[in-house]
Amino acid sequence: MTPLMLSFLALVGITCGSALVMLWTKNILHAALAMFMTMLGLAGLYVLAYADVMAVSHLMIYVGGVLILILFGIMLTNQNSRGDKDQNNLVTEESSRVWPVLIGLAIFVGLVFILARGNFSGVEIADPNSKLSFVGISLLTEYAIPFELVGIYLLIALIGSTYIAKHHD
Amino acid sequence: MINEIPLVLFLWAGACLFAIGFSMLILKRNAIFVLMGIELMLNAANLNLIAFSRQDTANQGLLLGVFVLVVGVCEMAVALALVIQAYRQFQHIDLGRFKSRN
Repeated sequence: MTPLMLSFLALVGITCGSALVMLWTKNILHAALAMFMTMLGLAGLYVLAYADVMAVSHLMIYVGGVLILILFGIMLTNQNSRGDKDQNNLVTEESSRVWPVLIGLAIFVGLVFILARGNFSGVEIADPNSKLSFVGISLLTEYAIPFELVGIYLLIALIGSTYIAKHHD
Repeated sequence: MINEIPLVLFLWAGACLFAIGFSMLILKRNAIFVLMGIELMLNAANLNLIAFSRQDTANQGLLLGVFVLVVGVCEMAVALALVIQAYRQFQHIDLGRFKSRN
């Protein structure tokens, strides 16, 4: 049991445990907090996969952007069903728990079974060093056109979402 | 290197996240919860890309992961705008109570 393996197991525990909390809870604010922990654990997993650039950008985008967006969405669609304004008691509806959990378990067991049969040995780790300069250079040379296209796509999505979200009377 | 984490463990973690995301997708009735489940599934796919990119000298999975991140953000922004508009229309975002008019 090396320290690398121990930290991997701890990060997988944080990630999958918080995802299970998201699945289990009915309170949407608790789910947002658990999603924060999931994103932290995922960033740690990216670090362990030698993708430090991805870990940092994942933290910036998900914790700084998407999670704030989700919290705004929760705030703007708050129905306050219980009527008590003091507590953060945003309990939501859900369907019967048996079938979704069974289907999810079946997907997990099937995927693990398929992946356990694959042969991934014999491939060596390419480069454990930082990939920051590599990603920067490739985004501006080899992947320049997809990079520009994804910028235009982001602009279109932002304009479209502000148009969708405004009042249409 | 001798003390590396095996690739299949990353793939199992991704499979776990994907399964949890899919069951959130069909369990929850709040639209924002469903969006969170979709984000979990997207991140599971991204984890697989990056785990495979560890073995690749050209690091193509890492660069595809950057684009997946941007597409995920766009999807989230548009979907939350749609959710807010649906809330204005129906005064709730319960997916089980939406009815189509005919």
